[in-house]
Amino acid sequence: MTDRSDPALIRQVLDGNPDAYGALVARYRERYARFAVHMLGEREDAEEALQDAFLRAYRSLAQCADPARFDAWLFRILANRCRTAGARRARRSRTFVRDEVALGEASAEHPAERREWREEIHRALERLEADQREAFLLKHVEDLSYEEMSALTGAGISALKMRVKRACERLRVMLGEVQHA
Amino acid sequence: MRQFLVIAMLVAVAPALVAQDPRLEARLDPATRAAVAALVDSARAAGLPTEPIIDKALEGTTKRASSDRIIAAIHTLSADLQAARTALGATAPDGDVIAGASAIRAGAQPEILEQIKGVRGKAGISVPLAVFADLVARGVPADTASNVILHLAEGGASDADYAGLERTVARDIGAGAPPGASAAIRARVSTGEVGAAAVGGPPPGVPATPKDPKGKPASRP
Amino acid sequence: MHDDDQHDELIARVADELRAPVALDPAFDARVMAEVRRAAPSRWQRALRWWTEPRPLRVSPLTGLACAAGVAALLVVGTVSLRPASPSPMKGAVATGVAVPAEPGSEMVQFVLVAPQASSVAVVGDFNDWDPRRTPLRAEAAGGVWSVNVSLRSGQHQYAFVVDGKEWRPDPAAPRAVTDDFGSPNSVIVVGGKST
Repeated sequence: MTDRSDPALIRQVLDGNPDAYGALVARYRERYARFAVHMLGEREDAEEALQDAFLRAYRSLAQCADPARFDAWLFRILANRCRTAGARRARRSRTFVRDEVALGEASAEHPAERREWREEIHRALERLEADQREAFLLKHVEDLSYEEMSALTGAGISALKMRVKRACERLRVMLGEVQHA
Repeated sequence: MRQFLVIAMLVAVAPALVAQDPRLEARLDPATRAAVAALVDSARAAGLPTEPIIDKALEGTTKRASSDRIIAAIHTLSADLQAARTALGATAPDGDVIAGASAIRAGAQPEILEQIKGVRGKAGISVPLAVFADLVARGVPADTASNVILHLAEGGASDADYAGLERTVARDIGAGAPPGASAAIRARVSTGEVGAAAVGGPPPGVPATPKDPKGKPASRP
Repeated sequence: MHDDDQHDELIARVADELRAPVALDPAFDARVMAEVRRAAPSRWQRALRWWTEPRPLRVSPLTGLACAAGVAALLVVGTVSLRPASPSPMKGAVATGVAVPAEPGSEMVQFVLVAPQASSVAVVGDFNDWDPRRTPLRAEAAGGVWSVNVSLRSGQHQYAFVVDGKEWRPDPAAPRAVTDDFGSPNSVIVVGGKST
């Protein structure tokens, strides 16, 4: 066992051992898969964006200014990919995220209700503007601070706070209706 | 300053937050993850390397072991890491501590670690310990293997000599030799105490002439 | 934590639901790494680094001798060592580019498993987080010989094969680890002749 930190792995890749990049892919794919899926609403699109992001990061690895913050750097690349992919799909009719996408604490009790609730959430997310959806996911699901979100998206902190606020309001309206139905 | 205080509080209060290795997050259920994270933090606080602990948890996950079993394995591992750390000292590199823990787990006495370290000095202990592990895996009894690697160290063996011994023992065992006997004999050939002819030829790469026991043979930097 | 937003129970429930990990296509890693290897830094970049950075000799003369003699070296794992009928590992290893130096302190190791009935084989170990998705083996054209090359740091490693995603198979030709924490034994390989 060795130093498997991000900077160490990056060093190995830059020294001519591309296989070391596999460790970085494995380390971050689940965490960022989640964000991509909820941003884009469809697993295939999300995987494509994620793969694209990993490859872009690989190709510009030497330009990663702070290897210790590889995760944030990769995330930024992914967020941009998602924005581009989302804009491309704006014209196409969206499909709902399929149930099998979510793993995690899948409970055996009330599976049908759970699935419905999940689909409602995804429908509601899709109806948000991309900016708001992104801000909501980064803040409430990925638990970033506003500073981190600002570095990642390039938007100002007050703009981000406004987006999150609006996203919460809209979600509350859309999902509150569902709950009381 | 406030940030520092916040971080200090988080470290003190919430072990789970500090050890958020994404690999644990992705592959362990929450209860196991919390227990493992706590053990990782204890190890870190005790100056022990944490990567082997995470690795052990992931190994258990892949093997679909129960949470209890994973935790038990980590407790054993932590104890071995601590014993190795004690034997090798607070400034020993993590790699040595990890190799030492593996050797202890395979049956080496912690004292042997100290002795080898003393003899090898800057040449380091990771290669001798790796060879120890391999010998034991091939059926050489742990105490024989311990004596063999210490014997080589005292005879000034280089890393290449260790590798050579291990290859030869593997070949001997494959040809039907008892592992312990093979290891013991080859060790003595390596240090020149027994003529190579006595065992049917030198192992590849091991010189037939005795080495000067005082000085180490020129080894690679 | 959520200072400015009106944080309430509904939002918390939504966030909880969205935090569940998502399943990725199991071949995701392999797809990314296939592209990565295609895009690996050019030879001249590697050569430049080779000349500008002092590095110790990677392959010891002993290993070279062993290879020449066809004797199983420390570097090799799989259905080789002592059975002359098995495919020569060094042939395969050289063919896949072992001649290019791995990172100092590492060696390229070829993992081989003969499994004609298998539809997938992966190697798991302490070098890839025991993750069956990380390092799939590739089957040769015929005969069920699966192999992959991995760069391993010097020292001892434990590993095993996972066949068809579910069957645990230690390497039939490698030594077993003496201790086994989980009821599924591992194989052991020791890499390299240099201390770290």
